Amino acid sequence: MNLLQSAADGVLFGATYALIGIGFTLVFGVLHKINMAYAAVSVGGAYCGLLALSLAPAAPAWAVFLLAFAAGGVLGLAVYFACFHFIPLASPLATLMSTVGMLLLIDEVIIHVTAGMPRSYPAMFDDVMLQAGALQLRGDLLLVFAVSVACMGALLALLYRTPLGLATRAVSQQPVAAQLCGVRVVQVNALTFVVTGLLGGIAGALIGASVGTLSPLLTLPLTVKGLIVTVIGGLGSIPGAILAGLLVGALESLFQHFRGVTERDIYVMLLLFAFLVFRPGGIFGPRAGRD
Amino acid sequence: MLELKALSRHFGGVRAVDGLELSIARGEILGLIGPNGSGKSTTVNLITGLFAPSAGRVVFDGEDLTGAPTHRRVARGIARTFQNIRLFGRLTVWQNLWVAQNSPADRAERGFFARWLGGSRGVRERLAGLLELAGLAHRRDELAASLSFGEQRRLELARALATRPKLLLLDEPAAGMNAEEIGQLDERIRRLKGEGYTILLIEHHMELVMAVADRIAVLNFGQKIAEGPPPAIQADPAVRKAYLGSDAK
Amino acid sequence: MDFYVGLAQLIGVHALLGLSAYVVLLTGQVSLAQAGFFAIGAYAAGMLTVMAGWPLLAALPVASLAGAAAACAVGFPALRVRGLMLVIATLAFAEVVRLFFFNFDFQVARAGVKVGPLGGEGFRQIRYFPENAWTTLEVTLFIWAFVAAIMALLWWFDRSRFGTVLRAVGDDELAAQSVGISLTGAKVTAMALGGAIAGIGGGIYAHYTTHIEQANFNILLATLAIAYPLVGGLSNVFGTLVAVVFVQGLLVEGLRFLGDWRNLLFGALIVLAMNLRPSGLFGARGA
Repeated sequence: MNLLQSAADGVLFGATYALIGIGFTLVFGVLHKINMAYAAVSVGGAYCGLLALSLAPAAPAWAVFLLAFAAGGVLGLAVYFACFHFIPLASPLATLMSTVGMLLLIDEVIIHVTAGMPRSYPAMFDDVMLQAGALQLRGDLLLVFAVSVACMGALLALLYRTPLGLATRAVSQQPVAAQLCGVRVVQVNALTFVVTGLLGGIAGALIGASVGTLSPLLTLPLTVKGLIVTVIGGLGSIPGAILAGLLVGALESLFQHFRGVTERDIYVMLLLFAFLVFRPGGIFGPRAGRD
Repeated sequence: MLELKALSRHFGGVRAVDGLELSIARGEILGLIGPNGSGKSTTVNLITGLFAPSAGRVVFDGEDLTGAPTHRRVARGIARTFQNIRLFGRLTVWQNLWVAQNSPADRAERGFFARWLGGSRGVRERLAGLLELAGLAHRRDELAASLSFGEQRRLELARALATRPKLLLLDEPAAGMNAEEIGQLDERIRRLKGEGYTILLIEHHMELVMAVADRIAVLNFGQKIAEGPPPAIQADPAVRKAYLGSDAK
Repeated sequence: MDFYVGLAQLIGVHALLGLSAYVVLLTGQVSLAQAGFFAIGAYAAGMLTVMAGWPLLAALPVASLAGAAAACAVGFPALRVRGLMLVIATLAFAEVVRLFFFNFDFQVARAGVKVGPLGGEGFRQIRYFPENAWTTLEVTLFIWAFVAAIMALLWWFDRSRFGTVLRAVGDDELAAQSVGISLTGAKVTAMALGGAIAGIGGGIYAHYTTHIEQANFNILLATLAIAYPLVGGLSNVFGTLVAVVFVQGLLVEGLRFLGDWRNLLFGALIVLAMNLRPSGLFGARGA
C-alpha cells in the first residue's frame, strides 16, 4: 500500500467531509452562527435511513440513502426551530449553547435507541474495484465521491441559479436590506437548515456506507472534523469547504498511513492550528480572521 | 506636535488616504474637513493606530509612532472620541472613566499593586472632577447605555480626557446635535484649548469648524487639497469645487 | 448521606471549572479549552503525588502553574482569532489534550507496583487521600476551601480595576484600545488566570475521583465549563456557582431516577434554558 493509494482513498472519502464542511459553512455564511449540532443531524439522518431496513429488510441500499437524505432535512429543520428561530440575534452565545444542547440530545437519543451498539451500514458497489493506472479505486468509495460531487453541484446550482439561492445570498450579505427588499428571511433561514440537513443526511449515509458500520461514537469526532474543514476552508466559503474537505480526507489518510490511527487525529488538529496561526481566514477567506 | 509625513493607506484598489502631509502645532485647533469618503476617518484611524499605513509615517512629539500599537499611542498622549459613540455600555458611567486611567502619570501615581487593583485617591479625585465637569456626577452609578445621547457624548469626551492626552482627536462631535448643543460644544472646545490641549477636529458642521479652528485642512479623495486659516478656506475655489462639484458660487 | 457529600465534592470541583471559564468569558473570549487545562492540572498533580511522592499541597500549585502555562500557550495565538473561530480553536485544543493523554504512557515502579498514566486505560490508583487517611468530610472541606478562596479572589478582582478592565475589553475592544488598555495584556492575563484556576480544579478532581482517563475530559466537560458562566450570567461569580449547583445538583444527580435518560434531558434542558433566558439566570448587568 503506497502513499498515492492512501492519498487517493483519502480524497474519495474526503468528499464526505466536504459535505459536512459545506453544511457548517453555509449556516455560518447565512446566519453568522455555528450550528454545533450539524454533524449530529448528519449521523441522526443516517440512522433514520436504517429504519428503511427495519421496515423492509430486503430494501436496496439506495432506499436507505434516500431515507437518510430526507431524514436529515427534517432533523435540520428541527434544529432550526429549537436553536435559531426563537433566540434573539443579540445572543450568539445562547444560540451556540443551544446547538450544543441539541448535539448532546440527538447523540443521546441515538445511543438510547440503538442501545449503544454499532449498526452495519449497507454499501453499494463495494465489491467493485476499478483500476486507474497504478491505483486501485474501490467502487463504493467512487460512488461516495460521485454522490457527494453531485450533491455539491446541486447545491451550487440551487445557490446560483434559483431565486431561493439568490435570496439566500442576499440575506447572507445584508439581512436587514434583504428584508426591506421583501425577502422572507425566516423562510430563507429555515430552508438553509433544511438544505444543509439534506446534505448532512446523505453525508452521514455515505460515511456509514464507506466505513461499513455506523456508530454513535461517530458524532463528536465528526463534529470536530467538520469544524476543522470549515475553518481551513474559510468560514462562509463553499469552495473552501470542498477543497478543505478533500485535503483533510487525503491528509488524514496519509497521517494514518505513517503514524497509525490513534495519533492521526492529533496531526489533523495540528493542521488546524497551523491554519489558525498563519491563515485564520482559511484557504479562501480574507487574510485576517472575521468574526 | 503631530506630523503626518507622506501618509498613505490603500484598501485594495482604493486610496483612502494618499500621500498626506499634515502637521499640527502644539496648542492649536486644526479642523479637518472634506466631503464624505474623503479619508477623514481613515486619517484618524491611522493616527490612533487602528490601521497601519501603506506608506508614510506618523510622528508625535518628535517620536515616530508609525508601528506602535494603539495603547502605546494613548500612553504617549493621543486620545480620540468616536463618530458613533463607543462607550462601554455595560459598565457604569464611573467605570467608563475608571478604566481609562492608563497614562504614565496615573500609573506612577497608583504604584505597582494598586495599578490593577484599587486606585489612588489622587486619581479618583481627578476622575471625579472630570465627571463633574461633564455634568454627569449624579449619574455615576448608572449604566452608560442608559444615558441620553448628549450625555453619552459628554461622557465619551470625559473618558478621552481621563487618559491625560496632549492631543485630542474629535471625530464629528457635533453629529446629531441641535443648535443649542453645538453652542455648548463650541464653548467646550474653546475651553479645552484654553487648558492647553491640542485638538484635531473632524467635522461636517461648517459653522462650528469655521468658528473654532485656528487652521483648516481640506481632504478630497484621500489627498489634501487646501490648508489655511478659515477665511482662506472659505474663499478657496478648489474647496468649493470639491463640495459642490462645479464652479458654483 | 454519602451521596450528598459526594455531590458536594463534585459541585465544588465543577465550580472551579466554571470559574476558570468565567474569568476568560469576561474578556469576551468564549473558550472551550478550559477542559484541556483541567486535564493538564489533573495529570500533573496526580503524577506528582503518586509517582514522585509529593504532598498534595505542593502538587496543586504546580498543577496550577501547568494550567496557566498551557493557557498562555493558547492565549497568545488566540489573539489572532475572533469570535466563533476562537470557539473552534479552543475546542480543537481541548481535543488535542485529550488525544495526547490517550496516547500518554508514563509509568514508574513504586513499592513494586507500576503506577502512572497508561494511555487509554487512564491513570489509576491516585490514592493520596485514602493513603493519608483523609475522611470524606475533610476532603469535602478541602475542596470547598479552595472554591471559597478562589471565589473571594475573583469577587475582589471584579470590584477592582482589573475586573473592570477585563469587562471593558469584553464590551468593546476598539474603545478599550482607544483608552489605552492593552488588549494583549488583558486577554492573555485572563486566559492565564483561567488556566491556573482550571489547573487547581483538575488537580483536586484527580485526587477525589482517584482514577482519571482521557474520556473524562471530553467535549461534554468543555461545554459544561462554559455553560456554567453562560447559564449563571456574567454579573458576578455567584451566578456561576448557582449554575453549577443547578446543573449538577438538580439536573444530573436529581434526575438520577431517570436512569440513562437523564443525559438526554440534559441536552434538552440546555436548549430550553437558552431559548427562555438567553442572558443566563443572572444575566449580564443591563443586557
